[in-house]
Amino acid sequence: MNPNTAKNLIARNVFLCAAAIAITSCGTATFSKTGSDAQIESLRNFELAFIDEFAVPGKRFNAAAFDAKVNQGNAKFQQAIADEKFTARRPVLVDLKGQFDADATHLRSKASRGKVTPGLATEMKKDVNKIYDHALGR
Amino acid sequence: MPSAGKRKRKKSSGKKSALDSALDQVTDESLAASKEEFQDLLAQAKVDTSELIRQNAQELEERLVLLKKRKIDKEDFDFFVENQKRDLRVFVDSQPAQSQERAEKLTLHVLEIAARVAIALI
Repeated sequence: MNPNTAKNLIARNVFLCAAAIAITSCGTATFSKTGSDAQIESLRNFELAFIDEFAVPGKRFNAAAFDAKVNQGNAKFQQAIADEKFTARRPVLVDLKGQFDADATHLRSKASRGKVTPGLATEMKKDVNKIYDHALGR
Repeated sequence: MPSAGKRKRKKSSGKKSALDSALDQVTDESLAASKEEFQDLLAQAKVDTSELIRQNAQELEERLVLLKKRKIDKEDFDFFVENQKRDLRVFVDSQPAQSQERAEKLTLHVLEIAARVAIALI
């Protein structure tokens, strides 16, 4: 084989390998990012349902049910933070957890005293949706 | 973002907003300066080129109206102001140095004055 042809073949193969690695890693990143987005959406849905369940004016406060839900939320957030493959996304999840903690504290304080106002749930959900949209870069 | 500097509050139409009408009823002398500063900054924020600043002003206005109508109480209002501040701190910190002062004035500072003015609405 002509030495030039051999060199060209090697160069071509190296290029093809590099391209294949790049394409594969992009695919993996996209796949994982999609999984990470789905995780954030799941946390959003959990938090919205939590507000819907407890920010109801006049509803009798069930401390045991409330604590069980908060514990479930804490576990979900901790699991999401531990499972997050993108290290850059971890602080975002920590911020979302901070919002969940603040929501739970406010809701407990209001619901346990029977002071849930008619506009509370709607406004809380607005803020939750906003922070999650920001977390997802929307 | 428009350049810094004090501008007169513009009214887009002759009709007053629900918040302006509510604020007009506040006669507490000790709050007069805060009320005027608040209305001026809120009007600037509502027409700012930054969507986040406009959105924050809009939300703040809506929540003051909800407070006035007793759909939320002062505890809720303060909670939402804290949420807004938390969200906006990142935005203010990410602004270029020359825009930071104005961004802070039209967001975090407006929220702080709002908490004072809100007391007079209830």
